[in-house]
Amino acid sequence: MGNGFKFNKNNKHPYVFIAPAVIILTVFSIIPIIVAFFISFTDLDLKGLADWSNISFIGLENYSKLITDDLFHKSIINTLFYVVIGVPLVIIFSLGIALLLNYGTSSLFKVFRGVYYMPSITNIIAVAVIWGFLYNTEYGLFNYLLSLVDVDKIPWLGEPTIAKLSLIVLAVWKGIGINMIIFLAALQGIPKSYYEAAEMDGANRLQVLFNVTIPLLRYATFFVTITTLIGWLQFFEEPFVMTNGGPLDGTISMALFIYKKGFQFSEFGYAAAGSFILFIFIIMITLFQFKLRKSDTEY
Amino acid sequence: MKKKTWSFFMICVLALSAVLAGCGGGSESEDGKKTITVWAMGEEGKKLSKLAEEFEKENTDIKVKVQAIPWETAHDKLLTAVASKNGPDVLQLGTTWVPEFADAGALLDLTPYLEDYPDFKPENYFAGSADSMTYDDQVVGIPWYIDTRVLYYRTDLLKEAGYDQAPATWDEMKDAATKLNDRGDDVYGLDIDRNDQITPFIFAWQNGYEFEGKDKMNFDSPEFKEAMEYYTSYFKEGISPTTEGMDIVQAFKDGVKPMFFSGPWMINIINDQAPDLKDKWAVAVMPKKERNTSSMGGANFSVFHNSENVDESLKFISYVNEVDTQMEWLEMSNTLPSRKEAWEEPKLKDDPLLSVFGEQLKSTKASPQIKEFEKIAQEFLSTIERVTVGNADLDKELEQFNKKAQEMVEE
Repeated sequence: MGNGFKFNKNNKHPYVFIAPAVIILTVFSIIPIIVAFFISFTDLDLKGLADWSNISFIGLENYSKLITDDLFHKSIINTLFYVVIGVPLVIIFSLGIALLLNYGTSSLFKVFRGVYYMPSITNIIAVAVIWGFLYNTEYGLFNYLLSLVDVDKIPWLGEPTIAKLSLIVLAVWKGIGINMIIFLAALQGIPKSYYEAAEMDGANRLQVLFNVTIPLLRYATFFVTITTLIGWLQFFEEPFVMTNGGPLDGTISMALFIYKKGFQFSEFGYAAAGSFILFIFIIMITLFQFKLRKSDTEY
Repeated sequence: MKKKTWSFFMICVLALSAVLAGCGGGSESEDGKKTITVWAMGEEGKKLSKLAEEFEKENTDIKVKVQAIPWETAHDKLLTAVASKNGPDVLQLGTTWVPEFADAGALLDLTPYLEDYPDFKPENYFAGSADSMTYDDQVVGIPWYIDTRVLYYRTDLLKEAGYDQAPATWDEMKDAATKLNDRGDDVYGLDIDRNDQITPFIFAWQNGYEFEGKDKMNFDSPEFKEAMEYYTSYFKEGISPTTEGMDIVQAFKDGVKPMFFSGPWMINIINDQAPDLKDKWAVAVMPKKERNTSSMGGANFSVFHNSENVDESLKFISYVNEVDTQMEWLEMSNTLPSRKEAWEEPKLKDDPLLSVFGEQLKSTKASPQIKEFEKIAQEFLSTIERVTVGNADLDKELEQFNKKAQEMVEE
């Protein structure tokens, strides 16, 4: 510390204001990321944690082992499965619900706003317990309802592909709330004059939706897409609390793979390497999204 | 002005580091008393403070702080303690975790103290739990309570299947389970918990399999393979369910799952949740092939490697492990005492259920004492799952598993 920044009279105040955020970000995010990067080239395990002299540098060995690790391949495929199905669903549902809720302002609409937002702020453990009962093969509500119409029991969490879809349903239900709020805020920010102009031109509702509303939601959609994608690439909580990666490793995601390697088997070096590959994935996909984004139009 | 900015900046840094330093604990001696911290897990952790109070009455110069840690987070918390070198004085450790933490040097070698505490000598304990006391010729833990698996069965349903006694051999077991399974469509013969990592090993041990250390794990031995064929046949023939989600007590009560393997904790659960089953169920020792081995689990007490209150910690462990205290603990928490002597007490000897556990304890094995065992066992569960649920070929899968297990220990 000392003379890293050159302060002059006029531009030092902003630094004071952002200092707390920058310090917290540095201590809790940036430094750990750098440390993890170095750890990924070592064989750090519990022995190494207890005594640093037991750590040795092994170069790219962790990475080369990961590339041949079947379970890691499986976790990548599962994660892509989650992302490809889950992300569009979250965006479509949260946009759809936001549009519906935007039609009125009566207290009924306010109540429903709360109803849709509730899952996002509910503790994941409580959610897991309730959904665990819903999905239970023997006593679950879903299978009970199916039995009323004479459909066989479905192993909601007992068959790899069905289990993945079950987790996606749960995560979509949980993920709608926050994105819906963002869309609602964006919808209310659209100037009324556009709608008035559209009305004068004799546009019907659908035309208004597709030619006015959705294009003007581009910023919000872009933001929601990026955050949801990153969130789903780090898909962890749902398989962790519901299935722990099973059955037949069918629901294990990259983040869960990293967690298991790191905290169940104490292979910190290996886990750090895995987390770096995930990090590279996320960076690449995010950059790709920025590239896709068309140049902004002013309105 | 410049000064002001910097001082504000520094205050932020200091405030943050104060927050970070707020974690940790130590032993401050207040009014001349020594304080020891004890970490205990799960249900026991909540009750242990009662014992600690009694201990404090007898030893007025020692204060005991018991922290109860839920099992789910216990492993993470221990990792943190090892990394920060900031642990308790005494910790409870599940026997399967001993090798991992002993290998990391987190547990104090108690060998020099054994002379002063004759109660800690291995001969006081059952062979299976004495195995878990040592690692690399160091004594790293003292068995506190133990558990072993036995067969729980519905006496009335087995009678209908023509068995007045519990099945005593593998062949009888298979026969009884098949008959019970044939009662109808939605019922099974024997429930095997597919997520329990020790059950397949119990089958293997019964078949004469031996784990002889890292260089001779014997996963390719005929004994092991034959045991796995027997184990998986229950699933392949539909005698054991592959689906999950059925509540075991409910299924036991309904007769859907008339037999299952479990530990002593199930006694109370069945009594509480299915009181009307009274006199319709019993426990029996494991069925025999070469021998009727079962697993030896439980928990040990260890002293953390950098504890400053070793003497006080050992006093506490010694108090908890007195036969009288163990019997009192049995009343309080229903866990089985580790001391052989305790099993001479009438309460254990004459109880129709607990005496079966006493009988089974004479023939038990601890899980292999190598630090990679957790990994190997998890890998094995996935392997067996591919066979029982995914219909993969057992021979191929076992071959694959053996290769992987070798790689795991060679690293």
